[in-house]
Amino acid sequence: MSGASSPAGVLQQAQAGLKRAALRRQLHAVATGKSETLSVELDHAGVDVGALVDEVTDGQQLDSAELQRLVVAFLNTGAADAVVERLLAKSPQQRARSARIIGALHLYEGVPWIAPLLESRDRSVSDAAARALGKIRGAASARLIVRAIHRRGLNRRLVAELARSAPDLFIESALAEPQRPSVRPALAMAAGLRRRRSAIEPLLHLLEHGSRRERVISCRALGWIGSGTAVPMLTAALRDGDWKTRMSAAKALGALRARSAKDDLKYLQIDPNVRVRKAAQNALHQLHEATLDGA
Amino acid sequence: MLGPRSNGFDRPQPGRPVLAPDERPAPQKKPDRPSIPFRDMISRLEVLERSPVFFGLSDATLRHLARRLRRIKVHAGELIAYQGEPGDTIFLIERGRCRVMIEKSPSVVTVALLGEGDFFGEAACVLGQPQQASIYAQTECYLLALDRQSLHMILGTREHEALDELRRLADQRFRAFADASVQATWSVLLQEATVVGVYSPKGGSGGTCISLNLVGSLSRRYPGQVLLLDLDFPYSHSALLAGLVPTNCLARMGSLPRESFEEVLLSAVLYHAGGPMILPGALRPEEADEVTPELVSRAIETLRKSFRYIVVDLGVTITDATLALFDLTQHVVVVAAPELSAVKSATDAIEILKELGTPHDRLAVVLNNRTEKPAVSKPAVERMLKREIDVEIAFDADRPERAAVEGVILTLTNPKSEMARGCETIAALLEAKHAQTPRHQPDQTNTAPVPALAHHS
Repeated sequence: MSGASSPAGVLQQAQAGLKRAALRRQLHAVATGKSETLSVELDHAGVDVGALVDEVTDGQQLDSAELQRLVVAFLNTGAADAVVERLLAKSPQQRARSARIIGALHLYEGVPWIAPLLESRDRSVSDAAARALGKIRGAASARLIVRAIHRRGLNRRLVAELARSAPDLFIESALAEPQRPSVRPALAMAAGLRRRRSAIEPLLHLLEHGSRRERVISCRALGWIGSGTAVPMLTAALRDGDWKTRMSAAKALGALRARSAKDDLKYLQIDPNVRVRKAAQNALHQLHEATLDGA
Repeated sequence: MLGPRSNGFDRPQPGRPVLAPDERPAPQKKPDRPSIPFRDMISRLEVLERSPVFFGLSDATLRHLARRLRRIKVHAGELIAYQGEPGDTIFLIERGRCRVMIEKSPSVVTVALLGEGDFFGEAACVLGQPQQASIYAQTECYLLALDRQSLHMILGTREHEALDELRRLADQRFRAFADASVQATWSVLLQEATVVGVYSPKGGSGGTCISLNLVGSLSRRYPGQVLLLDLDFPYSHSALLAGLVPTNCLARMGSLPRESFEEVLLSAVLYHAGGPMILPGALRPEEADEVTPELVSRAIETLRKSFRYIVVDLGVTITDATLALFDLTQHVVVVAAPELSAVKSATDAIEILKELGTPHDRLAVVLNNRTEKPAVSKPAVERMLKREIDVEIAFDADRPERAAVEGVILTLTNPKSEMARGCETIAALLEAKHAQTPRHQPDQTNTAPVPALAHHS
């Protein structure tokens, strides 16, 4: 490819810009119902169709007329079939872009075709697949992400997309089922990111009976949810034998502005571990700020 | 106009490219869906068929939905959904009971108790609204969860009407819970209601229409304090005529324990936007037998505490339940049409009511002219009945039928129609006879709850 500074490169850039603008106009016209036809060139290097579809469909609900019109246009023009075909292309870029388009269009029917991309060795492809599943949402997407976590272990991208895609009570019921050691911490983290109160009970159970790693993550997750009912158990976790659990509990109590744990946090300032002492200090600072705000 | 979304991905496409070497073999068709055992599938289908929204779907659609359901076990006391949080799933109760609670500071009000076959979460799922109430498992529950994506994929492609119906029901229940929470916090509904039975001894005389419009008329005076109990068996249509979708009925409450009866009964009441409330007696013809005299007495005893007027549509047949109700009514309205057979039936009915001990002044006869030129004149009807007609409803053209099709109540939408005027006269007559000492108007700022429904937080 020519450099951007060469005349040919500048020309190419300009051409790509024009194509992007034309496609953006087309997509807007279809979404608003002014047009029904769509001419999409998926192979043009300078035009990321997925990004443009993403831009147009951003914030749209699943049953919004705009999104439905775009989906119908993609299906009727055969562009959707071409996108699915490209999910199996050699080029990682093509596969990632196709996954992005399917995600942006919320094509639930495309979930089984995206699943194998989660195992791709190319990170851009697996991340794009995870993002697409996160956008599509639903139990099928969440189940596939949990399977990917099963195989790949705790991965931040997968956890974030699991939190986004999981329907109500999906993570809570998965936490109650037997899971591999690597999966349960990821589920706990996703439950915390979702910030649903229905996850408090399973997380408290995990805090009481889970492994060291599970206890650490449960503490943080309870802090993220903002669960006042978890304060007594988090206060008890300040006396845990594991320093990471103590640190995590201190952070959670700080986030919860749990004034009842003030004395326990003060006691933690003489903890042998420096990071625990720092966490306790920060938590006390947060409590102090909350008191000032309250006053 | 949008066309249905074709499911092109399930079909193999010609010319699919060869797999890239570093990828796994071709994706399986449905790798995310494990096969469901036969018995489990039957059980899922049973739950869907019991649901008022899904039971009308085709077998193929029901099977598709059943495959997408997730079974979730929830322990007693556990939180399922929290008020104000977003939601994306409809939960059908396969086993167990759930409590629907709305937090209205300083109290927490139970607005419904949901049992097997009922469902919740639909407003958040299909309307995109935050959860209106918190849902707790009252007993150990088995729920079948259907997420938004599955619902739209299956119903969006096959059954648009079902999706629209679900939206309507979600909107209706959303308003019902809001109204129930407000009503449950009123401290004013302490006096007992007047029970009015509307009896139409001949089918097609307009008994249900008059009951509905009478309730509408009374509701204009006392919004939220008038209930229509539909005991017109075997086909109870009042809710349908008012444009409401019933999800529960009196017939299903026979086996409920005493402590939860009131909550379940009040949670089955449907709220019309214009003020009237409707409690269906039975949703299916075969359920009519479940409405026993004991159940009717128990229900009336409970409902009398919460309403000012209870109008009971007694339908045509005199059953044990109807007889039990006659004992509980303060006023009976007999509806007759100016036809020979209808007037003869009305004469017999009045005789029976007299034998049952209904005082003359607590009985009103309504002549409903269903045709422009009635076959029997009013004086002739009075001669046959051996008493005066209390209220005559003039011919109202096709307005009552059109109102039924549109799901509206004439007394609320067209007060000048003959039906509305007639029902207004009946309402005035009832008021004259049963006027109670004025109650306070509902003061919504007073949030002290009705003891049976509220749990102080």
